[in-house]
Amino acid sequence: MKTRLVPFVLLAALCLVTAARAAPPKGGPRFLGPKPPEKVKRVVTLAPSFTETVMALGAGSTLVGVSRFDEAKEVAGLPRVGGFIDPSIEAVVALEPDLVLVQPGPGNQRSVEKLAELGIPVLLLPLHTVADTLAALRAVGKALGKETEAAALVQRIESTRVRIREASRKLESPRVLFVYGFTPLVVAGPGSFADELLRDAGARNVAADASGAYPVYPVERAVGVSPDVVVDASDVDVGKDTLRALLSESRWVEVPSMALLQPGPSLGRGLEELFQLLHPTVKPDAGIAR
Amino acid sequence: MRERGKGFTLARVLGLCGVFLVLMLVAFLVSVRFGDQPISLHSALFGKPTSKDALIFWSVRMPRAVLAALVGAGLAASGTTLQGVLRNPLADPFILGVSGGAALGATLALAVGLASVGEVAPDLGGGLARLSAPTLFAFVGAVAAMLFVLAASRGHGGRTPDVALLIGVVFNSFASAVITLIKTLSDPNQLGAILHWLAGTLGHERAGTLALSVLLQVAAIGVMLALSGRLNLLTLGDEDAASLGVSVASTRRLLLLAASASVAGAVALSGLIGFVGLIVPHLLRLAFGPDQRLLVPLSALGGAAFLMLADLLARLTFPLFGGDPPVGVVTALLGGPLFLALLYRRGRLTAA
Repeated sequence: MKTRLVPFVLLAALCLVTAARAAPPKGGPRFLGPKPPEKVKRVVTLAPSFTETVMALGAGSTLVGVSRFDEAKEVAGLPRVGGFIDPSIEAVVALEPDLVLVQPGPGNQRSVEKLAELGIPVLLLPLHTVADTLAALRAVGKALGKETEAAALVQRIESTRVRIREASRKLESPRVLFVYGFTPLVVAGPGSFADELLRDAGARNVAADASGAYPVYPVERAVGVSPDVVVDASDVDVGKDTLRALLSESRWVEVPSMALLQPGPSLGRGLEELFQLLHPTVKPDAGIAR
Repeated sequence: MRERGKGFTLARVLGLCGVFLVLMLVAFLVSVRFGDQPISLHSALFGKPTSKDALIFWSVRMPRAVLAALVGAGLAASGTTLQGVLRNPLADPFILGVSGGAALGATLALAVGLASVGEVAPDLGGGLARLSAPTLFAFVGAVAAMLFVLAASRGHGGRTPDVALLIGVVFNSFASAVITLIKTLSDPNQLGAILHWLAGTLGHERAGTLALSVLLQVAAIGVMLALSGRLNLLTLGDEDAASLGVSVASTRRLLLLAASASVAGAVALSGLIGFVGLIVPHLLRLAFGPDQRLLVPLSALGGAAFLMLADLLARLTFPLFGGDPPVGVVTALLGGPLFLALLYRRGRLTAA
């Protein structure tokens, strides 16, 4: 009888170990399927940050389809082709795109490979870290023949990072909790781009000991570490009052725009916003291009 | 069946199967004809093979309809068989722990971010390395769960089907607890993928995968069909069946294996699509009586037709939601009311 329990126990142990070690997949931008044409005229994006990238590169007119999560008014009239996990192959094929921009993940692997098999050029762009985001900007720029524009965008983000890092060096480093949601409490952990930006802005992420990039964080622990600043990046208020009451000693700030939430060309602006939120007494650097 | 005086005759079986075959073919044709995008049938059939219409017709809709048919046939046929073997009207294809195992396997693969088998074993060459990891993990999980449940129920006093059923139910709850644990520890992105898989969606499979799946389903449904006569006798009770020359234990074991294998093949490709395996067999039993020799083929054909139409409906709602709702939701929304209506009209419910 006892021996029959062994598989259960082994299974439970295996699950715990794999779940705890879950890590974002590695690898940079890469193409799938046929090569895109020299001059890409029809682009479909499967994530809002790619839409933003294409527009920031000055190629917004090439967009012919976007994901259902796209809210930018410039693309309000474009056909929707589904979501990140569940793109509609039919809808994408019908748009006859020269290039589809996709964030790869295990959930959309089959659909994306299907697109490539059907002869549609696909560009896979992982977006886990700041480095990923910059690599994606360069890769999209190269594919759309907008290398100069992409290099300028990357350069601007990198110089913003250098400048903010320099400016924060002389400042105190606040201990920060970066919150994406309250019920449950989901925060920016190690491996997220928000964590990197926090470090750029001279902050210490109190959730740096968490298991992954976007962990569910115990409220008890949040209270225990009592952060100096709580950055509220959630778009819901449910459960906010409870945490607010528990962390009433902390200074609460809200992110002013989507710039900090989307790994795209607005990362530099997001970093400046974050710096302002964390160091409100420091005057914004006037005259520096954003 | 008996009370309505419709005996088992070859003519009746062939006639009804013919009707259901036509039904299935019609469902197939409708399913490949319509979808999110309007296409011209003429240009799809006679135009350039690389045209937009031809691509959508042949490479997107056709494989998806075939997948729906395979999954629907497998789930419904095993539902019928399991309800008979376990003598339980609530038995569904997922009751023997197969769904728990499959879901656990797929969840693990999705949670650790594995996309293809190539990432697990990069040395594997060729087609296998490009197999989707959640599918492979789901299949392995399903088979492992099935073997575990069958082995665990075999020993002490395990001749009764109730033991297998109970162990299956317990295994499923255990697996769902582990899945919940993984879900709470996962990233939002991975969580989305996991929820999507668990809801039961028909994706896009390669021709090779579909061909393997055809072989598996044909073999499994073949076994269920071949043993359906003996299963009829099993419903008389073990002793009566044994006195009529049926080897009770081995028949039951073979049927459990065949049904589980069919479900494992289906669930690995589609996630958890509920209701087909519960509702379709009961609908047919209410309409045509409890003879398994008739029910198994009719369930296979009817389940295939039902799932193809449910999937078509899911795809047609794309403009409404900006995405296809999981087909498992559609089957439940369709099947529930349909079943109640028929139940009230016939006024009875039997398990085999």
